[in-house]
Amino acid sequence: MTRPDGGRVVPVYAVTKGRTRSGGRDLPVESLVTATDLRGALELQSEYRAIMALAVRPVSLVEIGAALRVPVGVARVLVSDLADSGYLTVHAPPPTSANGAPAPALLNRLLEGLRAR
Amino acid sequence: MRADTDAGPIPLKIVVAGGFGVGKTTLVRALSEIPPLLTEESMTSASVGVDDVAAVPDKATTTVAMDFGRITVDESIVLYLFGTPGQDRFWFMWDELARGAVGAVVLVDLRRVDECFAAIDYCESRRLPFVVAVNQFPETDGFGLETVRDALALASDVPVVRMDARRDESCLATLITLVEHALARSAVPH
Repeated sequence: MTRPDGGRVVPVYAVTKGRTRSGGRDLPVESLVTATDLRGALELQSEYRAIMALAVRPVSLVEIGAALRVPVGVARVLVSDLADSGYLTVHAPPPTSANGAPAPALLNRLLEGLRAR
Repeated sequence: MRADTDAGPIPLKIVVAGGFGVGKTTLVRALSEIPPLLTEESMTSASVGVDDVAAVPDKATTTVAMDFGRITVDESIVLYLFGTPGQDRFWFMWDELARGAVGAVVLVDLRRVDECFAAIDYCESRRLPFVVAVNQFPETDGFGLETVRDALALASDVPVVRMDARRDESCLATLITLVEHALARSAVPH
């Protein structure tokens, strides 16, 4: 909940019920999410609605945190809540090599994209 | 229907490390297509050394500002840049940022070389590909890059580049060098 001047009335930790870690999900900060059920989200609390508005297009956890002015850990909890309730989809992480690094084919595409700029 | 229709865009990330004032923010701003945004991670007392807590007795937690930027590389790849302090007290952020990262750009100010040691140690210990980018400051033009390599005791395959964080094309060239290095490293069995 926010005041008309944009200040926060209820601490965001009240929205997350004190949680700073999300149940079972360990999403990287760059994880992208997209809204899937905008109509149903109209009844949600304002922080959740704000996330749904941002997620009309794919948006990352870190961008959500910045837009809501909350730490990424808090954004992760809120996003996990929305995903668990079916309001938005978390996109799968990129394919990786055995050592956890991005797959070579992906690095090649990144390289081509950067060189083309 | 194409197989990747539902796959969505793929996020990749590069970490930009370095001491205070070395040019992290300038680099991120030079390349990002979104306005420079700051986000904060809360640091719990468990993450802070006892001495640090003693120095700020009224604060059990503090916050850390982190620059980030976004580059839409092509229709399916989004690259995120994270500028993060290179000191070891911020490793709790590094562990999260380094996981799955393409690699790191370690920015060096030759007037304060020691500030990049921790970041280099971190990348080496986690086998995270990195490039050392010597940000150009007026007083440091005379240094050769091989001198820098020796001073930092870098492995022979680690790229060392000269960079001007104020110039977009110079920053982009540094990223390209890093991705080339990461690609070469990915071909080597671990």
